[in-house]
Amino acid sequence: MEMRSFSDYLRSVDDEAFLKLFNARPDLVAPVPADIASLAVRACSAPSLARAIDSLNQWQFQVLEAAAALNEPFTLKSIVAITDKAAASALEHLIGIGLVYPSDDGMRLPSQLRDVIGNEPAGLGPSSIAKIKIADVDKAPPEAKKVLERLIWGPPRGSVGDIKNPGPGVAWLLEQKFLVPLDQRTVILPREVAIYLRGGKVHKESFINQPELSGAKRIEHQVDLAAIANISTVLRWVEELLNFWADEPSDALRAGGLGVRDLKILSNHLGVDESCTAFITELAYLSSLISFDAQDRIMPSHKFDIWLMQTPADRWQLLASQWLITSRASGLVGRADAKNVAALGPELDRVNAAKVRALTLSILKENPTVAPDAGSFNNVLTWRAPVRRNSSLQEELANWTLREAEWLGITGQGAISKYGIEFLTGEDLSIINQDLPKTVDHILIQSDNTAIAPGPLEHEISQQLAMMAEIESRGGATVYRFSEATIRRALDHGKTGDEIKSFLSKTSKTPMPQPLEYLIADVSKKHGKLRVGNTSAFIRCEDTALISQIMNDKRLEILALRRIAPEVVICDHDATDTMRILREAGYLPAGESATGIMLTGARSNRALTKPRPPRVIGEIEIPNQDILNSAIRAIRTGEKSTHKQTHLRQAANEALGALPRTTANETMDLVNRYILEEKSLSIGYADNNGAVTHRIIDPIRVSAGALIARDHATGEVQSFRIPRITGVAPL
Amino acid sequence: MTDGPLIVQSDKTLLLDIDHPLSTECRRAIAPFAELERSPEHIHTYRLTPLGLWNARAAGHDAEQVIDTLIKYSRYAVPHSILIDVAETMSRYGRLRLEADPVHGLILVTTDSAVLEEVIRARKIQPLLGARIDKETIAVLPSQRGQIKQSLLRLGWPAEDFAGYVDGQAHEIALKQEDWKIRPYQELAAEGFWHGGSGVVVLPCGAGKTIVGAAAMAHAKATTLILVTNTVAARQWREELLKRTTLNEDEIGEYSGAKKEIRPVTIATYQVMTKKKNGVYSHLDLFDSYDWGLIIYDEVHLLPAPIFRFTADIQSRRRLGLTATLVREDGMEGEVFSLIGPKRFDVPWKEIESQGYIAPAECIEVRVNLTETERLSYATAEVENRYRFCATTRTKRDVVEALVKKHQGEQILVIGQYIDQLDELSEVLGVPVIKGETPVKEREILFNKFRSGEITTLVVSKVANFSIDLPDATIAIQVSGAFGSRQEEAQRLGRILRPKSDGRGAKFYSVVSRDTIDQDFAQNRQRFLAEQGYSYKIIDADDVFQGKI
Repeated sequence: MEMRSFSDYLRSVDDEAFLKLFNARPDLVAPVPADIASLAVRACSAPSLARAIDSLNQWQFQVLEAAAALNEPFTLKSIVAITDKAAASALEHLIGIGLVYPSDDGMRLPSQLRDVIGNEPAGLGPSSIAKIKIADVDKAPPEAKKVLERLIWGPPRGSVGDIKNPGPGVAWLLEQKFLVPLDQRTVILPREVAIYLRGGKVHKESFINQPELSGAKRIEHQVDLAAIANISTVLRWVEELLNFWADEPSDALRAGGLGVRDLKILSNHLGVDESCTAFITELAYLSSLISFDAQDRIMPSHKFDIWLMQTPADRWQLLASQWLITSRASGLVGRADAKNVAALGPELDRVNAAKVRALTLSILKENPTVAPDAGSFNNVLTWRAPVRRNSSLQEELANWTLREAEWLGITGQGAISKYGIEFLTGEDLSIINQDLPKTVDHILIQSDNTAIAPGPLEHEISQQLAMMAEIESRGGATVYRFSEATIRRALDHGKTGDEIKSFLSKTSKTPMPQPLEYLIADVSKKHGKLRVGNTSAFIRCEDTALISQIMNDKRLEILALRRIAPEVVICDHDATDTMRILREAGYLPAGESATGIMLTGARSNRALTKPRPPRVIGEIEIPNQDILNSAIRAIRTGEKSTHKQTHLRQAANEALGALPRTTANETMDLVNRYILEEKSLSIGYADNNGAVTHRIIDPIRVSAGALIARDHATGEVQSFRIPRITGVAPL
Repeated sequence: MTDGPLIVQSDKTLLLDIDHPLSTECRRAIAPFAELERSPEHIHTYRLTPLGLWNARAAGHDAEQVIDTLIKYSRYAVPHSILIDVAETMSRYGRLRLEADPVHGLILVTTDSAVLEEVIRARKIQPLLGARIDKETIAVLPSQRGQIKQSLLRLGWPAEDFAGYVDGQAHEIALKQEDWKIRPYQELAAEGFWHGGSGVVVLPCGAGKTIVGAAAMAHAKATTLILVTNTVAARQWREELLKRTTLNEDEIGEYSGAKKEIRPVTIATYQVMTKKKNGVYSHLDLFDSYDWGLIIYDEVHLLPAPIFRFTADIQSRRRLGLTATLVREDGMEGEVFSLIGPKRFDVPWKEIESQGYIAPAECIEVRVNLTETERLSYATAEVENRYRFCATTRTKRDVVEALVKKHQGEQILVIGQYIDQLDELSEVLGVPVIKGETPVKEREILFNKFRSGEITTLVVSKVANFSIDLPDATIAIQVSGAFGSRQEEAQRLGRILRPKSDGRGAKFYSVVSRDTIDQDFAQNRQRFLAEQGYSYKIIDADDVFQGKI
């Protein structure tokens, strides 16, 4: 079978090659294409090609550029000639991911690839149409050399005052056809001349190998120690944040997200800077630990309670795994000299965030015990991902990833930790539980009204203490300070003075100092002298007998009246309802202005709504091997049946002499093939009213959803919109 | 993870578990660079501050040592950010140096020309500089040596001062250790100061700061100016120096409101130094009147602003600051660092107590209940009068009476803030009162009588807060104070901390009105001492009346 188009090539490869292709370009099997023709169309579409190019490193991209600088078909030899002999393996990779494909007469590029990488690959102009004597370039007069020097490394265009009246250098070059006029004012340097002047190579320098990552060398043991400290810290941060919100939910901004002032309050509470605070709030959000309720208040969700009961390793894994895949970049919050972006807000998504994060982590993983320098790290990053769509934030995203990985404990002292490696390779993380410092079950109370927990406290104790005392200092240990306000808070939470006292003396290894005992006694004595409660309506009457009467009236049971003073009764129905019911029962109530009732909610809030974590925008994940294998089977089967159907249809068409009919995918496949083969086609084309006419055309190229072709009937080049082409058949 | 005694917190505090076997060793290791913040009974808190770290650099420690020490003693992993911060902060010290150049006089030299470029562009620094000598050197106006150090510190680029000190006019001074011996910590303090050149020594009240001063003078062997808080303190310094050193009466002068003597060793009061005549500080010339080799600032935490300004101009003389608490209510610790010098010596109170150099003290808070009428008037009193009202309630008088009766025969001081209250107490107790208007002569007579045991009880106002030497006072009863001043509480306790001849412990009573702002202030006042490990015991006024204590 002759093999010229990309689909021909795909039909010829084995399953292993498919696997490699799909692994590198998961978008090709999401959803699984019906047959090889549609697979080929998808693989040659501009978005998919751009994605594939994104995955290239600098050397692979250089080789691709060199390939694009050659006329098709080309050979490995011709590529090596203009690059380096290392190009062979790079080319193999390019073939493997379908950016270059072999055909009968040599290598070719998928038809739209040139559109994606631009018309001037590596700053090279088009090939010269005229024949030129390349060696004569060396004889160029000095003025001409000057002009050439400016154009060698691209862009290959230069402007001249007037093409009809050029300077002596340009004139000589034009005469020798070393420059080609484009229009009245522009000249262009042909590809051959530029490559010759570049010394026969396309690039000034071939970046074959990844640059070395330099930075401080760390000791593995120290790295792990630092990382485990970071892990315990980040868990504590999240817990403290959510406990804070359980007490005092923040109000979300109308535009969504957390206000600057609230962020500051949280940052003070946690004792970390604002960018770290934003990171922690986002972590909680990504992991569904918080939810926005109907009033747009930010509160812990039910999942928080479940999370708290898990082991540290599980808790950490949830946070880290959500962080790894999110498209949100919390580093955008509070950037200096940039528009203010709110944490938890709608503006944090960046399409390449997860990809850059993954790349950053993989570079770290390849270089254990190195805490990279920023400069060196960026060099490696640029080599690994030289051309990216939306590349603007790449460097910043990578730096944020380094910072956040440290906060999370994926790294310690800047180098990847064993926990980080295990997390990234999907190993069991229970080692974290073993390595975290052992929890302590006691505190030391001192006479200056502080209590010190000399290590991470057991969860129950730390919850209780956080209620009774203010945290003054955090870290391996925690310093708590008792004051009137904190004791009051504990009493507000329903503890009694005696409970506080007995909890503290039970938990403390040291005897309870007397001033603290007095403090607790003093505050609890005063606490609750004033009583506050919720009510909807009150009934007031100076006649206590009448009050007793309504309290005992069976018909009023529905009101669930409560007598809080001899002359005052309250109920939970609103005033209008209460009055109505009273009137129905034959009483004669009158309304009283009911302002000044303070409404306070329950202290520890949970949202009633279901958490809605942000969705992940960005790259398509690589499906597992089973799915890929079944995708291949599906394509193969589809291919067989399509083949049969096409034959049947063609036979029918021929019999009926009807307009050609093909499926959309077949259309694209055929068009791509006949463009290469430079054949004329017969197509059915629908006009604005839906009437289908028969046209004979010479296809030229496909661009932006249209087929550019010469119409035999008019002899003009015109564009045919692809969705309107009802079918294609070769003549 | 080791099992060390130290926990390094992420907010740069260091918690030292003093029950740990390595705690003493660790304390010695971290003391050079960390500031002791609190030393209650179980866990001491130190803090890493830029000043502390620069202090350590000044004393010849480098970041490597500091980091090694932290890691060595730390129980948990030391937060990486702190290690970075330590290295970063310490590397800022010493990039700029002040030196004396034989040609250009005082010069500012750098090892990093970018830093020099940065600082000479600062608006505050520019007017202090002379001509640019080369890329790394610039001349400094010699008169601005203190000013430039102060301004550079504020910019975060502290300059190391290598310009040296003038020796001053030599004068033979030696310690006269015949019937007494200098204590080891006093000697350490004096030596620490002498090696550092200038600086501050922090010692508890009653721990013998005067002797540290005398020992420093013996090191300097030069004419000395001593600045003290008031005349009584001046006289005590004089007596102490006569007793402890080879100086004789003619060599020591007093420069105060009463006398204006200038001798090789001159003791001047802050009050006279800051007295203005026609809008100028006429007495500040004293600093120039002699070629002083050493200047001692007693109670440096009280140093008034004009003297600070003047101190900036005498940077070539050695300076020693003495204090019990470096807590300044005005937050001018940075000025003390750059103008007097870094802290050279510091030791927890309880450590000295355990060595027996200060008397063990028991702190007792006596809570009195206001009567119903008092409560009502308190509740309706104007906010600004509330403290005065509850601090001077009638009930306190009865408690004081009962306490004085209970401790009959012991030397008792009754200390308060409000003169009316003190007058009333003096009348009720039938004992003399010393207040601001009491003439110095009369004060001395009373103090001497008190010392000799002729009178056993004295009522004193805040004039007695500082530097009066009452060797045998064993009981102090505080009835009111300057609101929530922690430092005042410490000074007052200091009055009874001198070791007693019979080894008896001292008692410090603080009488407080229950459920009032008085109680809130008391809590704040007690904080410093509680942080020094003094545990307060709270009792009821009724217990006092019933003799239960």
